[in-house]
Amino acid sequence: MAMRQTPLTCSGHTRPVVDLAFSGITPYGYFLISACKDGKPMLRQGDTGDWIGTFLGHKGAVWGATLNKDATRAATAAADFTAKVWDAVSGDELMTLAHKHIVKTVDFTQDSNYLLTGGQDKLLRIYDLNKPEAEPKEISGHTSGIKKALWCSEDKQILSADDKTVRLWDHATMTEMKSLNFNMSVSSMEYIPEGEILVITYGRSIAFHSAVSLDPIKSFEAPATINSASLHPEKEFLVAGGEDFKLYKYDYNSGEELESYKGHFGPIHCVRFSPDGELYASGSEDGTLRLWQTVVGKTYGLWKCVLPEEDSGELAKPKINFPETAEEELEEIASENSDSIYSSTPEVKA
Amino acid sequence: MQTPLAVPVPVLRLPRGPDGLSRGFAPDGRRAHLKPGAPESQECPVGQGSQESQEQRVRAALRERYLRSLLAMVGRQVSFALHEGVHVTAHFGATDLDVANFYVSQLQTPIGVQAEALLRCSDIVSYTFKL
Repeated sequence: MAMRQTPLTCSGHTRPVVDLAFSGITPYGYFLISACKDGKPMLRQGDTGDWIGTFLGHKGAVWGATLNKDATRAATAAADFTAKVWDAVSGDELMTLAHKHIVKTVDFTQDSNYLLTGGQDKLLRIYDLNKPEAEPKEISGHTSGIKKALWCSEDKQILSADDKTVRLWDHATMTEMKSLNFNMSVSSMEYIPEGEILVITYGRSIAFHSAVSLDPIKSFEAPATINSASLHPEKEFLVAGGEDFKLYKYDYNSGEELESYKGHFGPIHCVRFSPDGELYASGSEDGTLRLWQTVVGKTYGLWKCVLPEEDSGELAKPKINFPETAEEELEEIASENSDSIYSSTPEVKA
Repeated sequence: MQTPLAVPVPVLRLPRGPDGLSRGFAPDGRRAHLKPGAPESQECPVGQGSQESQEQRVRAALRERYLRSLLAMVGRQVSFALHEGVHVTAHFGATDLDVANFYVSQLQTPIGVQAEALLRCSDIVSYTFKL
């Protein structure tokens, strides 16, 4: 029987979601962090989308957010000219790193000892997280604001993207090794360590380059301007989303468009596969994150595959508005009436 | 060419959103024992830990007894001693979540009987009722 994708909508943000990142796979599952223009990045359980907590402290839009591999630390980049490092277990703010302009991107090294930041001041900064008072190392060279900066090649190199270039830097010598130029604005960049692949989006193009040489591997054209794309860990699929509000799924080997999904009510700003490849998350101008199954119909997370023999009349009926306890009902009523910090929405809006 | 109407994948429930009351990071969450100040700290020997949990158990038991006493009061005649030596009686109805107000009926006051009333708990010095 043909099954139709049921995206899971994660609500809670009140403004556009501009960045999202998954942690690695930890003994407690994997986690997802979302950056939002409302200044309140949120941590969620990666396989269900359940909200865990909100990092409170930034005084401006949060443009970038990331988690370290074991999801014990989070880092955020904001329009308040700071990057912050957080304890992702307790939600406490650990460090505020002052910058001279809007910070757009943050990335941890594999061992979580260093944080890379970049932003509108066109400088890459490397902070030693064991010595937060020390001045960061700075790398200059970009001629326009940095949109994304990533560690690569086992943290020995740095990839950074500004409006029209992608540059590769050597960490030890802090010098530029290679660069790529584009005619159109680079909208996103993703680094895949296994296979050293770089995914770059610009205009309607989704391009794949070697992260070591920056040589092009292949590229695909989408029907609309793409803002973000992600390659599946096993490199079978890629997903992309952009200005037409749709998510596209392509076969990586053939370039064939396999699926397109409607659902968001605004342009998609970010899309990422989970570390196990079973789902991908998209963040949109509409203020929501949505989780999508890679294999539609598979039982995973909150998706439950019901085989025809098991049909008891509950098939294809999502259990909506099913508060487990009376407390949840009270909270719903309370949140509608009271002046809460977040505009939390009830479990379901029909 | 129309594909047959596909059935949407069923879901157990929707993702839970923020509770609107706190910033989250639940103390009883999955990763709670990883938090700083948990077993990592050497200044917290096991003995002290069990004393604290013993105290917590006692507190919980006392709280439960108090809540049950409120339940037992429902519908009964209760005498309240208020400030300035004022005494009133009423039928107890309910309390609110924080036990800040008591909802009562047939409140007998020095100036008359009030059919329905809210008594502020901060105005109450003590109250008694017969089981």
